[in-house]
Amino acid sequence: MARPILMPQVGQDLTEGKITALNVKLGDRVKKGDIVAEVESEKAAFDVEAFESGTVIEIRYQVGDMATVLQPIMVVGEPGEAPEQAVTQASPAASAATMPHQDGKTLHGPAVGRTQAGAGSSPLARRLAAEAGVDVALLKGTGPGGAVVKKDVDSRQKTPLAIAGGSPLRSPQLGSGDPVVFIHGFGADLSAWRPFIPHLGLPNPILALDLPGHGANADLAAEDFGSLAARVREALAASGLNRFHLAAHSLGAAVAARLAGDGGLDIRSLSLLSPAGLGPRINGDFIAGFLSAESEAALRAWLELLVHKPSTLPGALVRATLAAREAGPLATAQARLAAGVFSGNTQLFSIRDALDRYPGPLRVIIGNEDRIIPAAYADQLPPHAALHRLALVGHLPQLEATALVARLVAETVRSAG
Amino acid sequence: MTREIMYRDALKEAIDEEMQRDPTVFIIGEGIAERGGSYKVTEGLLAKYGPQRVRDTPIAEAGMIGVGVGAAIAGARPIVEILYVDFAMLGMDMLVNQAAKFRLMTGGDGRVPFVMRTQGGTGGGVAAQHSQSLEALFYHIPGLKVVMPSVPADAKGLLKYALRQQDPVMFLEHKHLYMTKGPVPDGEHIVEFGQADIKRPGKDVTIIAWSNMIPRALEAAAKLAEDGIDAEVLDPRTLVPLDKAAILASVAKTNRAVIVQEAVRRGGVASDIASIIQEKAFYHLDAPVEIVAGLNIPVPFNLELEKESIPQVPAIIAAARRSLHLEPFTLAPTA
Repeated sequence: MARPILMPQVGQDLTEGKITALNVKLGDRVKKGDIVAEVESEKAAFDVEAFESGTVIEIRYQVGDMATVLQPIMVVGEPGEAPEQAVTQASPAASAATMPHQDGKTLHGPAVGRTQAGAGSSPLARRLAAEAGVDVALLKGTGPGGAVVKKDVDSRQKTPLAIAGGSPLRSPQLGSGDPVVFIHGFGADLSAWRPFIPHLGLPNPILALDLPGHGANADLAAEDFGSLAARVREALAASGLNRFHLAAHSLGAAVAARLAGDGGLDIRSLSLLSPAGLGPRINGDFIAGFLSAESEAALRAWLELLVHKPSTLPGALVRATLAAREAGPLATAQARLAAGVFSGNTQLFSIRDALDRYPGPLRVIIGNEDRIIPAAYADQLPPHAALHRLALVGHLPQLEATALVARLVAETVRSAG
Repeated sequence: MTREIMYRDALKEAIDEEMQRDPTVFIIGEGIAERGGSYKVTEGLLAKYGPQRVRDTPIAEAGMIGVGVGAAIAGARPIVEILYVDFAMLGMDMLVNQAAKFRLMTGGDGRVPFVMRTQGGTGGGVAAQHSQSLEALFYHIPGLKVVMPSVPADAKGLLKYALRQQDPVMFLEHKHLYMTKGPVPDGEHIVEFGQADIKRPGKDVTIIAWSNMIPRALEAAAKLAEDGIDAEVLDPRTLVPLDKAAILASVAKTNRAVIVQEAVRRGGVASDIASIIQEKAFYHLDAPVEIVAGLNIPVPFNLELEKESIPQVPAIIAAARRSLHLEPFTLAPTA
């Protein structure tokens, strides 16, 4: 089956990069791990790696071309196979296959996994990382043989959470009004919002962050819900943000609710999509299956639980999630986070008190066909919350009812004045 | 106020002052009386204190050390000067089995306030039997104190302290240091054992050295500073007792340690200090502890080979840079 090899995300805010070398030509056999191309941005150069073996059946660029990030550079498949339209249209969510690092370098997940394996770390780095809540095994080392040393932990601590503001997320400089900060759910990353943002039609600056254990923050550990929320709070503080809107999904929505209810920050409005933390039950089988799935078929089987209609689920999302997973760091970090916030079918935290305390505009959007968190928990919401229950929608209303959900989030933001 | 005087004159001041203060202090050795000592440490003392207290001996190190240890047990404060530490080996039974054990085996009633002054290290082509750094042999024996001053002030202060305490002291000077100059405080100047001295404060890497490796470490630190690397040079001054607290505090500050010894690497004091650091300061270490030491060979006669066999400034610089991850570092194969 034909698979694209994507242009990596060459920097947090960059939309394209230059192809500086193509190491393969049409008809060449490549195997997983081969460096098939080299690309560069204004900041750094990167190798592009094949995620699986096959024959190169299409090359979309020539050396010197500018390539759009997260779009296919080439397609690998069986000899004679036609590149399928479906696979060549990569979803923005495929950015999960790359992990931008704070130093501007972007590495493909699996390469990071191999580099990090067994490279070691200094005793001091391990202690500092433990004190900072950073998982040293997931850090990129600059010491001898790639070992993680003090400098690596220090530079990691300076950027507690990545906050992206670049295109297609609008940068803070370009918008007007209070920024809207988006927080993704368990297992996703900030790029999951990319297809959703253009539907908002808001003038406000749009920001998004990666939760600890996700996306660019794969190496940042959070051992329970409290520390998860604390790290997000630190990241927002470090970015100088104290007055903003929050729009968030699932576990991210629970974090947003906790921040809103705890006070201290001037949160103008709160839009929660399929929020966790309204009641004890969660589909523990989904969490376990999602974390343990090793093949595309297995992962697809579990991810389909996210949506009411399986066909809504982009194939690229499944493959990108799996590709990122092969790195090791993401999977390990997410397994640890899951163990800290969920226990079997139980959510180990509640946001009901936090929502009671939040005085601002609060809108909650829940899919009636949610198979991850019971839709019936909508009954637990405080009376000042506006509730929208969407028919024929599962756990991903922003994907399954994009236009409507975007309109509702925008209305919430506007309602804060 | 301080005066700039030579290491050998600082030692002479210490002996002179203590002989004046305490009539039980005497000194014996080869050529120390009429000739004033091969390194001129005892010049003038014969005239001042007479042959009863400043006495030449035959070339008979075992006998000299035996006299010293016996006299100390009997209540005197002898200084025995052994011309080369290499020849202290002839008195090892007296040192290891008698002097070091006497206090314990008498239940603490007997004390051995004995000072063996000697010198070691390479000195410009005096070959394998006159160039050794043997501090590890004494360091290994519980009951002996091991003192290795690097500058005139420490030489004076430590020797004066040695002559006021109650246990056998191996006072190890260095043949290269006798003519070096440094500030020595006026008046009474005493340096207690077990107190390291920061010869150069720094924040990036701790260089631990003693005796003649101190000037070399300071030279390396000055060169490192040209590259913006701020090295701390720590001189334990006494290896027994060892100021572990000062070493650990410095390593906790810099997160890296380079230990420099002129003695051969194998079984050396540097290895023991490294083991203390890894045990007590493991989670402060950002790099492996580096040891720069002499080669595991008898010191060659040939001057160029002699130079190659002991630590030089570039090797200290390279070790410091490795510990700062600035130099390639090869991990040992694990298979």
